Amino acid sequence: MALKRVERLDPVSQTRARSARVSGLLRTNLVNYILLTLGALVMVAPFIWMLSTSFKPQAETITFPPQLLPKRATLENYTQVFERLNMVRLYMNTAYVAVVKTVVNVYTSTLIGYVFGKFTFRGRDVLFYLVLSTWIIPFEVYMIPLYVMMVNMNLGNTYWALIIPEISSAYAVFLFRQFMFTIPNDLLDAARIDGAGEWRIFHSIVLPLARPVVATLVAFYFMWNWNDFLWPLIVLTTSDKYLLPLGLSMMVAEFGTQYGMLMAGASLAIVPVLMIFVSVQRYIIEGIALTGFK
Amino acid sequence: MAHIASSRPKRSGIRRAERRFIAMVLAPTLLFYAVFRFYPVGYAFYMSLHDWRLLRADQVFAGLDNYRMLLADPLFHQVVRNTFYFAFGTTLLGTASALALAILLNPIRQGSTLYRLIFFLPVMTSTIASATIWLWLYQTRFGLLNHLLVMAGLPRVPWLQSATWAMPSIIIMSVWAGVGFTTIILLSGLRGIPAAYYEAAAIDGAAGWKVVRHITLPLLTPVLAFVTITGLIGGFNVFQQVFLMTRGGPYNSTRTISLHIYDYAFQRLWMGTAASMAFVMFAMVIMMTLVQMYLQRIDWEF
Repeated sequence: MALKRVERLDPVSQTRARSARVSGLLRTNLVNYILLTLGALVMVAPFIWMLSTSFKPQAETITFPPQLLPKRATLENYTQVFERLNMVRLYMNTAYVAVVKTVVNVYTSTLIGYVFGKFTFRGRDVLFYLVLSTWIIPFEVYMIPLYVMMVNMNLGNTYWALIIPEISSAYAVFLFRQFMFTIPNDLLDAARIDGAGEWRIFHSIVLPLARPVVATLVAFYFMWNWNDFLWPLIVLTTSDKYLLPLGLSMMVAEFGTQYGMLMAGASLAIVPVLMIFVSVQRYIIEGIALTGFK
Repeated sequence: MAHIASSRPKRSGIRRAERRFIAMVLAPTLLFYAVFRFYPVGYAFYMSLHDWRLLRADQVFAGLDNYRMLLADPLFHQVVRNTFYFAFGTTLLGTASALALAILLNPIRQGSTLYRLIFFLPVMTSTIASATIWLWLYQTRFGLLNHLLVMAGLPRVPWLQSATWAMPSIIIMSVWAGVGFTTIILLSGLRGIPAAYYEAAAIDGAAGWKVVRHITLPLLTPVLAFVTITGLIGGFNVFQQVFLMTRGGPYNSTRTISLHIYDYAFQRLWMGTAASMAFVMFAMVIMMTLVQMYLQRIDWEF
């Protein structure tokens, strides 16, 4: 399309335009690569330093000048973290809570988004905006009563207290509703006329079509849930219930100067989320585009 | 849809099934949002009007005393100032960096995924893990940053230990942690700009900064506005990094509103006062949301 337009011009400006574009593209891209690589180095440097420190014996962590590679690489920081923090339990606890919260929230929000996006009924918009309005309520506003409610329901120091308030979230409902507008009504009506029930339509047509958005939101919610800190800090009181970020912060408080160990703990906290993201990253840009970003 | 309905006898049965489905989904939804969002907000407001302490049988009604106390409390003023400092510092620095990265990343075909992944790495990292790493980088005597400064012949900076430097340090760490997210959003905004604009500019002989200034920025303004406002709202909520790295110090220079609310509610157990602070925060967020709604209504035309 672009070439056609250029060809309609007279020959002189045609060549000039083409050469300007080609050389301009090369020049700017080279500069782009250099600047991006510099930026990327700044971004990864803390991680490299984290990994490097995590393999150093305590004495080597505080040497000057700083050494990128440990002279005597050791795994003792990692074994220390596993022993003192009970890392296996932290992983299991965090994975359990993060998976349950993510699956429940994404499922219910797809369903609610579908109802708000694809059906017409009285009061729909009022109800939708009522749900959406909760998006702007800062967690700090309702966390105090929520805590009192959880304690009154005898749910203090349980995972129920973490899961129940996150059964659905306005943000996810909003994004799924946006996505539902892209599904043609005819498709759903055709299924209805063929006799498919509403739940069947949702599970075998809508949900599969929503896969890029589901994948994106699963990745983001898993990440947020895996990293969630404030509410678990308030609700969980015994160390056998702790989740990773909480365990890590306790470790910082307890072993604040053993940097090798702290860096080993940080590395161990990062890996699982990284794996999830790498496995779904091809969906993410598409998912963001489909929901009109955010 | 109506004409289909008239031609199909099964239509009324379908309508009934639809209505049942809607009710089955919406009834629990509304119950959830009523019980776990609206009720606690009302409850919090009720608390904020009382001298509400945890584990006390009779809460004493206090009218607007909590709010009056906040107005008169110089520490709370400082807390609000700190919060704005953090929110604006992080958002402005973060959006500017993300914009630069997104513009650099947009025309690239080879290796774009790798760069995106690298910039996104800190976003995936839990804030507590990031804060732990930066606590080590900022360490005054043995930290990498001061090592590098000394090697460059510069004096050490007391990053987290000085009231002047602590907030900038936390801002830098937070920009590092969040810039990848903003970059992805701006990048998808850039992808939405039709290639024809750039081609037209190339034909007119415009390149580099001129293209950015006259095509990219104007067309990206709605996305930039969105990113800025949500960045500010997110900034008002900052908790984890100050909790772990400075605990609000030194001399309350990094004490933000969220940390202050946490301390009042769950350390001192003065929940009424904490709730009134939360409503001040709510007011800040509502103000920003109104600004955003106003900006969205503008027809961005250039």
